[in-house]
Amino acid sequence: MATRSDLIDKSNQSKNILSYVIIGVVFLVALWLSTQSEGPSKFPKEVTDKFTFTAWVNDGEDYLKKNYRWVTKLIASYIKETYYFVEDFLLESSWILIAAIIIIPCIIAGGLRLGIYSSFVVYFWGATGMWEPSLQTVALMGLSVLLCVFFGFILGVLCSQSNRFENFMKPVLDTMQVMPAFVYLFPALFFFGIGGAPAILATMIYAMPPIIRLTNTGIRQVPAQTIESATSFGSSKLQLLFKIKIPLSLPSIMMGINQVIMMALALVVLACFIGAEGIGGQVWQAIRRLDVGWAMEGGLCILFMAIMFDRFSLAFSKTERTLPSDVQRFYLLPQSWEKYQIAKIIEMPLNFGNKILKIICQLVTTIIASLFKLLVSVFNKSTADNIGEFISKRYYVIPYFLILLFIAFLDHYFLEIGTFPKEWKLSIRQPITNAVESLTVNPGFISFAKGLRAFVYLNLLRPLDVFLTQIPWWYTLTVFAALGYVTVGIRFAIITALLLLFIGACGIWTQSMITLSSVLVSVALCFVVGVPLGIIASYNERFRNIQNVVLDAMQTLPYFCYLIPVLMFFGGGTVSAVLATVIYSIPPIVRLTSLGLTQVSGTYSEVSRSFGGTLIQTLNKVKFPLAIPSLVIGFNQTVIMAFAMQIVTPLIGGKGLGLEVFNGLARSDTGRGLAAGIGIVLLAIIIDRITLAYTKKQREALGL
Amino acid sequence: MKLSKKISALILSVVLLIGSFGHANAAKRLHAAIADWTGGIITCEVAVAILEREMGYKVKQTVFPSGTGLWEAIAAGELDFACESWPSYAEADSVMLNEDLIYEGKVVGSYSGDGSVDLLGTSGIIGLSDYWIPRYAAEEFGIKTWKDLNKHKAKFATIESGKKGRLIGCPVAGWNCHDQKRLDLLGIDFQADELGTEAAAIAEAKAAYMRKEPFMLYLWSPHWFFGEFDMVGVQLPEHKVCDPDTFTEAGNWKDCGTKGWPATGWAKDYTMNYGNPATFASAEHSDAKKFFEKMSLQNIDQAKMLVEVDIKKRDVKEVVNEWLDNNPDKWKSWLP
Repeated sequence: MATRSDLIDKSNQSKNILSYVIIGVVFLVALWLSTQSEGPSKFPKEVTDKFTFTAWVNDGEDYLKKNYRWVTKLIASYIKETYYFVEDFLLESSWILIAAIIIIPCIIAGGLRLGIYSSFVVYFWGATGMWEPSLQTVALMGLSVLLCVFFGFILGVLCSQSNRFENFMKPVLDTMQVMPAFVYLFPALFFFGIGGAPAILATMIYAMPPIIRLTNTGIRQVPAQTIESATSFGSSKLQLLFKIKIPLSLPSIMMGINQVIMMALALVVLACFIGAEGIGGQVWQAIRRLDVGWAMEGGLCILFMAIMFDRFSLAFSKTERTLPSDVQRFYLLPQSWEKYQIAKIIEMPLNFGNKILKIICQLVTTIIASLFKLLVSVFNKSTADNIGEFISKRYYVIPYFLILLFIAFLDHYFLEIGTFPKEWKLSIRQPITNAVESLTVNPGFISFAKGLRAFVYLNLLRPLDVFLTQIPWWYTLTVFAALGYVTVGIRFAIITALLLLFIGACGIWTQSMITLSSVLVSVALCFVVGVPLGIIASYNERFRNIQNVVLDAMQTLPYFCYLIPVLMFFGGGTVSAVLATVIYSIPPIVRLTSLGLTQVSGTYSEVSRSFGGTLIQTLNKVKFPLAIPSLVIGFNQTVIMAFAMQIVTPLIGGKGLGLEVFNGLARSDTGRGLAAGIGIVLLAIIIDRITLAYTKKQREALGL
Repeated sequence: MKLSKKISALILSVVLLIGSFGHANAAKRLHAAIADWTGGIITCEVAVAILEREMGYKVKQTVFPSGTGLWEAIAAGELDFACESWPSYAEADSVMLNEDLIYEGKVVGSYSGDGSVDLLGTSGIIGLSDYWIPRYAAEEFGIKTWKDLNKHKAKFATIESGKKGRLIGCPVAGWNCHDQKRLDLLGIDFQADELGTEAAAIAEAKAAYMRKEPFMLYLWSPHWFFGEFDMVGVQLPEHKVCDPDTFTEAGNWKDCGTKGWPATGWAKDYTMNYGNPATFASAEHSDAKKFFEKMSLQNIDQAKMLVEVDIKKRDVKEVVNEWLDNNPDKWKSWLP
């Protein structure tokens, strides 16, 4: 046995050495080639001249515009009507009614804690003067989520029923998620007009994938025994689907809805570029006026809103934990504090209030139920019983409507409640603006910023830019195809080569290499900063908790909130673009490093320590190798997010494919924008597949 | 199942509520595009405020970035009007307008496009673009015109521009500024950096000014930046167009050296308001059309409001209404 494992060890070692040598040779050849060439490598002109993808797209768009615009306009007009209807209702109702509509469901679903939080959120919208934009954002998001859930659920069910359909949908879903929203945001404008309708449709493209995926997996994961027992009772296929599979996969579907809400919120903010109102427009205006504080207030409105909807939709999918009868239930404070007497005293009145509220609600509901029962029993006795029972069970929902009706009635006939009171204003603009401005002139900080800018530009960005653009295109293409062959297989290698040929034939080779270079630099920086943070977090729980909150905030805050500070400190240009990308795409690598390390920390590290390994040794020799799959997934997600960010960085001086998209759109040249957008998607997909295949191999090698 | 019923009940309730409280409004309605720079916003707010206060309109406003998309949206009738278009920046105007632009009796521009967008009239704002440096830099180095720039180019250099000086250039390629071309033709050894948005350019310039560093910035006036920071123009050569003008897309961008644009500064921009032809041809909106024919906001008034809005951070509507209250003599004559 020993000899055999020795042998494997040796062959592994020689394999390792061999692959290092190959990588080294490939790199050296590339270096030599790039120094030989003068100027950036260009695709043969004969090909780019003949392959006029841009013109084809534009012709196609013109044709569609001429002949099918009436269809899209019709769809748009329906969506627009509904949107304006909802918007008018939200904006013209009294603020107390709107607050009640939002807060009471939060209390019902998430208890007192969520109720208090949602009141704070609603107060924050009004107090910062963002009442109207916040509600517009809610309206946009709500409608797109409804449509997403409706269509996504249907598509998800279809996916779960047919393997062929699932295989067809998979690449489509990938593309929907990675394709930069700007690419379809502007063409949507020409087909669906401006404002709410195209915004909602574009949001659907972006936010639908999770619900499709999670409905599909939810239904597919229903245990085989359950299905078997149902079929043995003689359920038909449809019965099986609707009575067994879908109800059982509801938690998974709720999870999907939760993700749809989050993604829809992210895109609705971007939709200000096509004339959709809401907080996105506020943030964008603030940025144009360099008002960091204002932008931050808008960002916080979105952030708080997102957390509220997140907790609300999670509260639905969570089942309530029942406590033993002798323990007092806590409504506000954490249940673990019950050992403190003072917590019990605080909770006492809450408990009492809850009981009274419940009794009142039940009483009111019962009265209404019996009223209805009486009314309907004139016609039909059994339906009356059913209706009565149906109503009396809903002793939270019915009083909720009564309260809403009461407020609306009061507002309409007696009081003019109107919009949010101006006296309750709260502003955090000035302090934020002042903080940023004092940092801008702080000599120490600025010399640090300048040093960083010089380092990133001179040592990372410029060399890599020159290197990647000057390697002949056929060499880069071969290297990528070879990588694809080694990690995935021959089929993928051919696909990779074809995709890269497409990029080259569109005449955007240089731009895509610049994009690749800034993505690589950003990802490298994410690694250097993110991995140590993840390591610290894996050892210190308090640090991890704080860090998680910060990371959540970073991911939900609309990314243009932090563009202005970056600009003031680092100036416009490619370095700022890289730094903004780092801020946006660092969370996954931090999270997954700490996750990977904490997962293995148990037995393995104990064994290693009992053999006398030091902390560093344990980390280096035991934990890291075992955490590699998790690290690679983090790396993979960071790369995808960095690619997605490339579409935003042109706003602050980024170059490459993102700028191509913008320039194409500024001249309403959809073909040019689309070609560049596809370029970003293709690069992202190629790298994604290669890293995922690599993780799979690592996992197998580790026997996980 | 309990879960889905809860949700459906919630949704149903909202729909029902909406049904019972929808309001209708009978006022005359127009839909305006609000520009994405403060000067344009103020000009439009003045028009909107007068339409609403004096002429019984209800104007829906949508923030919409300027560019070809805006012109197409107006031609398609998605939006009814937009304010303060700068002719030297818009490519669409020569294709879509079909009218002469007249300022104080003089024709300052004539267009012969397809007429899919209607030239409503002057906005009154006359803009001027140039390259600007802060006064402290101009005085310290003794820079009077663009000819002095090369001597001090090292002071304007950044990491990215290397030995050349850096111009924070026209942010968007679609604005047709041709900065690098101009610098090369005039022999100014600077690199023009295109930062993508006005905000990016101004943010960098503001930070540099706060740190008292030398920098050169492309900018147009009236702009709030001049109200807060003391800048001097580098006095580019006076605007000239070579004859025949071949520096156009139709002429395949063949420049005629230093004889004409883009080797010169910009022309004065006589700005205009524009709208959807069908909307303003209808009898219902003939009053609005007459108003736009007469409207003419002066640079000095816009500049005053710019300071209030962008430096004192006041609300645009509040500032515009205050101006209307205090200066009735300036705008009463625009009413039909």
